[in-house]
Amino acid sequence: MSKDTEKDNKAVDQYTQNVLQNGISRRSFLSCTAMGAAGIGLMGLSGFSGKNAEAAQESHCTEFARSSDGGATLNFMPKPEPIEDSDIAETLTFDVIVVGAGASGVPAALSAAENGAKVAVLQKHPMPVSQGNTGSGIDLKTSDKAGIEALVAKLMNDNNHRCNPALLRQWAYNSGEAVKWVIDRAAKGGATVEDQGSKPQFAIRKVNGYTLNYVTSFFGPKPYTTGDGIRALAKTAEKAGVKFFFNMPASQLVQNNADEVNGVIAKGRDGKYRKFMANKGVILATGDYQNNKAMCDYFIPDLKYFGRKQMDRTGDGFAMAYWAGGVIEPIGHTKMLHDFDAGPASMCDMPFLAVNRSGSRFVNETVAMSLFNNYLRDPENAGHYNQVFDADYMTTAANWPGGKLVPPEGLKNYMPDDPSPKHGVFESQINTHSADTLEELAKKLGCDPATFAASVKRYNELCAAGKDDDFGKPAELMAPVKKAPFYGIHRRVRVSTICSGMLVNENHQALDADGKTIKGLYVIGNLGGGFYGGVDYPLTVFGLSLGRCYTFGYMSGKHVAKL
Amino acid sequence: MNTKTLQKYRFLFAIGLTLFLGVIFTGGLYAAEKKGLLDAYHAENGVACADCHENENKREAVSMVKCLECHDVEELAKATAAVQPTNPHLNRHYNTGADCNLCHHQHKTSENFCLPCHAPFNFMVP
Ligand SMILES: Cc1cc2nc3c(=O)[nH]c(=O)nc-3n(C[C@H](O)[C@H](O)[C@H](O)COP(=O)(O)OP(=O)(O)OC[C@H]3O[C@@H](n4cnc5c(N)ncnc54)[C@H](O)[C@@H]3O)c2cc1C
Ligand code: HEC
Ligand code: HEC
Ligand code: HEC
Ligand code: HEC
Repeated sequence: MSKDTEKDNKAVDQYTQNVLQNGISRRSFLSCTAMGAAGIGLMGLSGFSGKNAEAAQESHCTEFARSSDGGATLNFMPKPEPIEDSDIAETLTFDVIVVGAGASGVPAALSAAENGAKVAVLQKHPMPVSQGNTGSGIDLKTSDKAGIEALVAKLMNDNNHRCNPALLRQWAYNSGEAVKWVIDRAAKGGATVEDQGSKPQFAIRKVNGYTLNYVTSFFGPKPYTTGDGIRALAKTAEKAGVKFFFNMPASQLVQNNADEVNGVIAKGRDGKYRKFMANKGVILATGDYQNNKAMCDYFIPDLKYFGRKQMDRTGDGFAMAYWAGGVIEPIGHTKMLHDFDAGPASMCDMPFLAVNRSGSRFVNETVAMSLFNNYLRDPENAGHYNQVFDADYMTTAANWPGGKLVPPEGLKNYMPDDPSPKHGVFESQINTHSADTLEELAKKLGCDPATFAASVKRYNELCAAGKDDDFGKPAELMAPVKKAPFYGIHRRVRVSTICSGMLVNENHQALDADGKTIKGLYVIGNLGGGFYGGVDYPLTVFGLSLGRCYTFGYMSGKHVAKL
Repeated sequence: MNTKTLQKYRFLFAIGLTLFLGVIFTGGLYAAEKKGLLDAYHAENGVACADCHENENKREAVSMVKCLECHDVEELAKATAAVQPTNPHLNRHYNTGADCNLCHHQHKTSENFCLPCHAPFNFMVP
């Protein structure tokens, strides 16, 4: 079914090598039957003793994947139940099946259809669903080649050098075209979208002295989002012949005798199974696993006490790809926790006094908002903190880096207690307050007034001394909080997404534990691995996440259609 | 609301009451002490255990498809269009298709699925 040639003789890069060695696959997490000579061989390599390997053969492993050292049972990876053909209510055949109608799946489906394939999309939700506003790419024509490479190097650094450079380059060299295409096709479906060009990317117009320009799609302003944009794009896709099946969560992949993926089984709300056969390939685009508690506790326990921003992302795609032979990136996945909504987004990285949920100072405030989660992981704080400033902030913070001040009149747009009509915000998420006394402000922010007052007093003393003895923040970024009215923005960072996933090659084809492509299986969006790798998602390129989803959807759709 | 079906059930209710009560009380657990739960309300309105649990012997989670045999999502969205601060039956995450069981429970107190993420959405779920 696929004409595509094996690339296993090609030297494997460092990233892929590491994931093959340390990632989670049926090779390392044996189901009893898969326990073969090859499995033991690999365990020998990674230093597991024969005794531990035997332990893996014990009970339970017929139901759940079990670690090769016998220590862990992946009970979030239940083995797919066998489904008899007689239990299949209906079988339909297409060229390409896309699983998940989000930021990567809908572009993939449309792209495949435009390249001549007959495409079906299976979607868990009652409609296409996605989130966010900004998605970006590089405008190749107006950017220096050296600049593109400099940006790739910068992103490698952001990723703590734990990603696959080939995938970053795939984004870098194709994203301008892909994002422009998404803007055009979504607009045709009726979306409110604009190309903001390089404007939002002011900090990376020059990298290492080289020039870069960008294509930045913006679906908005809020409460309009990429969710609405993706629904518009889906309308264009329907016109191009793509067939959507809603309330149709996929539950397992179908493989032929050669282990090639050639279909998907989904279970409709009526409880009936449907089989969707794919002549060319299956593209998994089911997003992350933030709503699967056991899986989060295993791969990224840092998230235990944080709220979530999405729903129904239970990692279904991981289980499907895993049981088809795929490899999950090793423990220590990359997370994205933000709050751009409680107050102005442009002030979230400005180094105002910050106090935690009870009212204590906890960090050198030059740390970016996107990293604050690392200081607020405990059950009490659970991502909550407050930015605090006084009546003079427009002058005291006028020259601070990292953002743009919104004047007091504009802050009212973020104040739930202020009667002014709101615009460009999520009304239920705004959480900015002002008060004439510190005590009153503490109460509005939910802090303990005594703790809060003591923190402000201490901070004001440090400001007066011109030295931050407690956290070492530069003196010029220390502005006392002493003149009423006082302001507070109560932010609460929650899990926007987890962006580590399955091992893929640069064509987004899943690889098995031998590093061979699993024919017929593509993985894109946050389910795809290799693109990040750092502790937190980097905000260097604003809208990288969506930009990457659009780009890889566009690319994989083309690739599979041409098989 | 799926008006026709509902009327049918209201009518049947009068005749069937004694029968239904029998079923409820053999269910023991679902008797008077849990007054105010949806199972009681459904029973009062002539909906029997078997209307939701097809298999009498296998009482387990009920798919939303069952609810839709009697309730209509479009009509529900209209019925609660004015609910403040937002319409629970027509929302941006699921449109009219949210699974009823996310909020409404039959045999235990219902929950407000939206609240953990939207503090101001403090509506009471029957
Ligand atoms: C509030 C918020 C704001 C954000 N803002 C931005 C931003 O401005 N810029 C940016 O770059 N990124 C942003 N992000 C991140 C970005 O939204 C995600 O990275 C991106 O949407 C991921 O795309 P995806 O295709 O992988 O998954 P999604 O877009 O999440 O789509 C996955 C889809 O798969 C479906 N699905 C799941 N399981 C199954 C199954 N078993 N069968 C069938 N379908 C299934 C789901 O219903 C869903 O629609 C934001 C995230 C959040 C939560
Ligand atoms: C309107 C539909 C409906 C009706 C009527 C109904 N049930 Fe249920 N039942 C459910 C749902 C939905 C669940 C899943 C748990 C929940 O949501 O409360 C459930 C679960 C159960 C369970 C499994 C244990 C549990 O609580 O999860 C039992 C036992 C049960 N029902 C018994 C009954 C009996 C006895 C009656 C009649 C008195 C009844 N049900 C009437 C919908 C219904
Ligand atoms: C066999 C028909 C039937 C089924 C199945 C059914 N219902 Fe009902 N439901 C009714 C009737 C009849 C009423 C009362 C109608 C009225 O209030 O006018 C009702 C009322 C309700 C109410 C309103 C309660 C109130 O206090 O106003 C809710 C909520 C509800 N149902 C939820 C559900 C859910 C959830 C399911 C599926 C698990 C379900 N129903 C399945 C018939 C049904
Ligand atoms: C997001 C939570 C949520 C979900 C999901 C949900 N409901 Fe409701 N439902 C509510 C709330 C809240 C009310 C009470 C609204 C009010 O204050 O009048 C309600 C009221 C109702 C009523 C009474 C309507 C009336 O006329 O007053 C019915 C019937 C009902 N729901 C059925 C359903 C069914 C059936 C589903 C699934 C198709 C469903 N609901 C899904 C939250 C929900
Ligand atoms: C897991 C957390 C989560 C849950 C649960 C949730 N939401 Fe949201 N909701 C969000 C986030 C995050 C946004 C803003 C970004 C977006 O649109 O995805 C949002 C946006 C919204 C908005 C538009 C913005 C606003 O503030 O008015 C509405 C309306 C909304 N949700 C309604 C609901 C309703 C109704 C429910 C219950 C059925 C619900 N949400 C459940 C996370 C959640």
